[in-house]
Amino acid sequence: MEPPAATSPGPAGPASLRRPATAPGATAPTQAGAVPTTHPVIDIENLDFYYGASQALHDISLSIDHHRVTAFIGPSGCGKSTLLRCLNRMNDLIDGTRVGRGRIRVHGVDINQPDVDVIELRKRVGMVFQKSNPFPKSIYENITYGLRLQGVKDKARLDEVVERSLRGAALWEEVKDRLHESGLGLSGGQQQRLCIARAIAVEPEVILMDEPCSALDPVATAKVEELIQDLRSKYCIVIVTHNMQQAARCSDRTAFFYLGRLIEYADTRDIFTNPANPQTEAYVSGRFG
Amino acid sequence: MPPAESAAAPAVEFAIQKRRVRFLGLTLDECIKLFFGGNAVVSIVVLTLITYFLFREGAGFFGQNRVNLQVYRQAGLEYVDYLRRQADDHTALTRYLADVRLRTVQHHTRTSGKSLEEANAALTEFDVYVERYSAAIDPLRTMVGELSEVASAIKTKFIVNEDKKEERRQLLAEGKMAEAARVAIDRVDFEAELRPIRAGFPAYRTLNRELSSTLTQLAGNIPALPVPELQQRMERFAVLSREYVGTFPEIERSLESWDHNAPISASQAFSSFLFGRQWLTASFWQDWYGIIPLLIGSLLVSLVALALAVPLGVGAAIYVNQIATPLEQKLIKPCIEFISAIPSVVLGFFGIAVLGQLLRNLSQSPALAWVPGFPYSERLNILTAGCLLALIAVPTIFTLAEDALNNVPRAFKEASFALGASRLQTTMRIIVPASLSGIISAVLLGLGRVIGETMVVLLCAGNRIAIPDFTQGFAFIVEPVHTMTGIIAQEMGEVVRGSIHYRALFVVGLVLFLLSLLINFGAQKIVRRYRISVG
Amino acid sequence: MSASLHPFRSHSQPARRIEGVIFWAFRLATYFVLACGLAVFANIFFKGGATVFQARAPFVNFTFLTEAPESLYVFEWQGRKVEMGDREFREFRERNPEAAKVKTESYVYSAGGIFPCIVGTVLLVIGSMAIALLLGVCAAIYLNEYARDGRFIRFVRLAILNLAGVPSIVFGLFGFGMFVIFFGWNVSLLAGWFTLAFMVLPVVITASEESLKAVPRGFREGSLALGATKWQTIRKNVLPYAMPGILTSSILGIARVAGETAPIMFTAAYVVRDKLPWDVERSLDFFFQGVMALPYHIYVVSSKIPQNEYTEKVQYGTAFVFLAIVALIATSSILLRSHLRNRYKW
Repeated sequence: MEPPAATSPGPAGPASLRRPATAPGATAPTQAGAVPTTHPVIDIENLDFYYGASQALHDISLSIDHHRVTAFIGPSGCGKSTLLRCLNRMNDLIDGTRVGRGRIRVHGVDINQPDVDVIELRKRVGMVFQKSNPFPKSIYENITYGLRLQGVKDKARLDEVVERSLRGAALWEEVKDRLHESGLGLSGGQQQRLCIARAIAVEPEVILMDEPCSALDPVATAKVEELIQDLRSKYCIVIVTHNMQQAARCSDRTAFFYLGRLIEYADTRDIFTNPANPQTEAYVSGRFG
Repeated sequence: MPPAESAAAPAVEFAIQKRRVRFLGLTLDECIKLFFGGNAVVSIVVLTLITYFLFREGAGFFGQNRVNLQVYRQAGLEYVDYLRRQADDHTALTRYLADVRLRTVQHHTRTSGKSLEEANAALTEFDVYVERYSAAIDPLRTMVGELSEVASAIKTKFIVNEDKKEERRQLLAEGKMAEAARVAIDRVDFEAELRPIRAGFPAYRTLNRELSSTLTQLAGNIPALPVPELQQRMERFAVLSREYVGTFPEIERSLESWDHNAPISASQAFSSFLFGRQWLTASFWQDWYGIIPLLIGSLLVSLVALALAVPLGVGAAIYVNQIATPLEQKLIKPCIEFISAIPSVVLGFFGIAVLGQLLRNLSQSPALAWVPGFPYSERLNILTAGCLLALIAVPTIFTLAEDALNNVPRAFKEASFALGASRLQTTMRIIVPASLSGIISAVLLGLGRVIGETMVVLLCAGNRIAIPDFTQGFAFIVEPVHTMTGIIAQEMGEVVRGSIHYRALFVVGLVLFLLSLLINFGAQKIVRRYRISVG
Repeated sequence: MSASLHPFRSHSQPARRIEGVIFWAFRLATYFVLACGLAVFANIFFKGGATVFQARAPFVNFTFLTEAPESLYVFEWQGRKVEMGDREFREFRERNPEAAKVKTESYVYSAGGIFPCIVGTVLLVIGSMAIALLLGVCAAIYLNEYARDGRFIRFVRLAILNLAGVPSIVFGLFGFGMFVIFFGWNVSLLAGWFTLAFMVLPVVITASEESLKAVPRGFREGSLALGATKWQTIRKNVLPYAMPGILTSSILGIARVAGETAPIMFTAAYVVRDKLPWDVERSLDFFFQGVMALPYHIYVVSSKIPQNEYTEKVQYGTAFVFLAIVALIATSSILLRSHLRNRYKW
């Protein structure tokens, strides 16, 4: 399998943001090579979703593989974030939302069944938000928040998890001397990586990222993208982005949404070099969106 | 069970179906939610309870008031009051004469330069006339006095009897049969008791005829007075006097057809409260529970307060929001908030100790003599209470109006400036109209705050239960009044639980409660209907 | 010539002058209000300060702050006007038997101090705020965290808004009807607590909701996405950040509670009571006793005794102490709030 990032410069049009693209590109081949067997983790079948009376998602069907980075792209309002939030039922928090037809299965389990415990689901399907939202606690407490909720009190284990998560999020070297300072004191990019570290501390299988870099500057974006590449070997990652270069750089599969419908879902390389659908082509070549 | 696991079996166990501990079929989280929800309902529960308890304690009033009015009629008090009113009307005419006399004396001493003795001497003829006029009523007055005693006695007898009945009921309830049997209760036979009163009717008729002829003769024979203006007053007096005599046949007819057994309807018990012009309690003759004087008192005090507070509060809000420098804004807002923290009882005390006196002194300065009602002598009156209430209302109005002004989108202001409008034009034509609904509701809420305020009016409104005299124009603002809140605070501590007076106070509270709900509701309606929708 | 005649030059027009005049009128209105407030404060602080403070050594009149009210006796003794409190006067008469014949004027409550009133007010405020905070914060949590918009919630909000507008005297009547009579608690601390608590409930709910709203959404979502239950999220990640705001905003409610007289008139306040609140036989009696309270005492001394130089001291002194307490509470809330606004920025 070809490293997806290698294909990105071609169709991405203006090459103004190519610098970050080359960085992960260097490591990507080894990553891709190391990827173990894949199998679908999330299976979405004919999903309809409503905000009150208006339908936000129409008949979405796609399956997301383990050890892959899957990107959702599309113009704003196309439903990509809504779909992402369906995957760990964060939409439950919004009034008037409901799943119409169809179902979402994670490891074969329909997550909208009444016997599913949404708390357990969210432990297994973590999420990173558009706006980094570290809690106004120390870095250490931010990371251990999820574990403490589960009743883990063993100091040694917590310490170990903090170090592992921060290393996993490539933040350890930067913050190891100030673990007990407020997480709000970090820079924007560090905050977002802290949120990723916090998410991986509870050892999920899937990490959902909702435009994780949209509020970051290019340098911080590059670091987060690098991190996403690193995480791919362990997790199933779904990333929503409105930045096509980013999708091209760091995803394996890309789904293009438009007006609440899934237009095309294919390998990232194909989407950007050889889209099957004219709408996709128009979007990736920057003609609308 | 969910559908069978897909062909590509997951590497890790994925057990997201978990049974939570349940209490009564609810998970822990649902229990917690229910607990919080229960607390949210408290406000509804409290409102309901307020309504319920006001009704519970107050509802008995109308029944009791009906009995109260019934006794008034059965014991003949109503009958006597017809006569009393006739006598009182005559007294009013005599007072009119006294007023004319005073004016004449003033005319003599000031304009004609006579001494007081000379002036009095010049009025000898007038005095004789007045003497004759007022003496004419004496027989009627004597009669009223005699009949009053009879009627009072009947009423007392009835009340004593009722007390005994109550005593017996209690004894029976306690199981003391023998004692209960010993309580002697004699039935009050109103028909028989009233016979002496009725028997006086022929005498009254003769008396009335004499009075009528005397007054008619006097009215046709008014003494001459020196000035046309005074003479006109005397002629007016003659007209009034004739009108007065004209009412006599009507009174006689009412007395003749008066039936002590005519029932008092429930609506009469109701309207005598709602439209009653008298609040008279603990009286030896007859208690009246009419809310009108209290309602008018409350409204007048509130209106005076609003008349002062609206310009000040809204003006200050406009100033702070539109004109003031940022530093001023930062300082003024907390200061006005601070004023709202002054407890009302402290303000009331300030009114008694300082403001009442201050305003009275001010009213006596000649420079302010043009103000209606100035100078005045009652230290505690509508004006004093109104001023203090204004100070209470200003922070409410200010804060809410300032919020409303603040909510006007910046874009409106900028657009207006961009069209070359001045600051004043922008403020008055764009900002204020756009926030008008907010300002009006601020005023309404201020009114609600003021009308429900107790301590200030209790201490400073003068506590005289009377409808102010509106004939002198705005001079009524310096009259003392009593208010709905004040009467509850003042009398609640002294009444017997369960008595009609006690229940009447609860009904006043109920009226106050409904009034405040109405004001609040109005304020919300206005805000909701005229809210500017932005974006 | 040319420089001063460009089309944008400012010139004095009648419109300009009118604008100035009107702006001055607004300014005057504002400062007039402030001046009135200041006048009230100044009057009470100066005259009341004379009672509470003194020129001699401890500088604070501890008698006034730590003793119970007594009657004041004023009489002429050996050519001088003498003022004495009740106890002092009795001793004086024992020492000088001939003093029994002296004509005295007496004024109730005008000597001694106001200690029982201070204690009573503090007890009333603490108890009612505890109840109001508990109920109010829980209600606000429900409204802000759990409730979904619907007819029921709109009804609850309407009830809260309307409750805020109910006159305090109506609360007093309600408390009297429900707690004092129906529950049979008589005039008691407990009845006063609940009456006052229900009265400030809307203030506390509104303040709490505002503070809860100020906690960013991200905190909740982040916590939930980590597998926290709703209650865990609220307890660990919302309430701790909202609590300072809730408390400071509620302090204004406290000031209001402390300042109200009408609701406690029939539910909790006694005109005079010899015993102090902790002087009870059984501990349960503590809740079922009436207390003296500062606002009610002010009402009593300003309406039931004449205004003159002898009574003025205690009137102004009480008003001063009361106003000082309320002002302290209000200031601290205003200061704390602006302090917190600067500290909590997310």
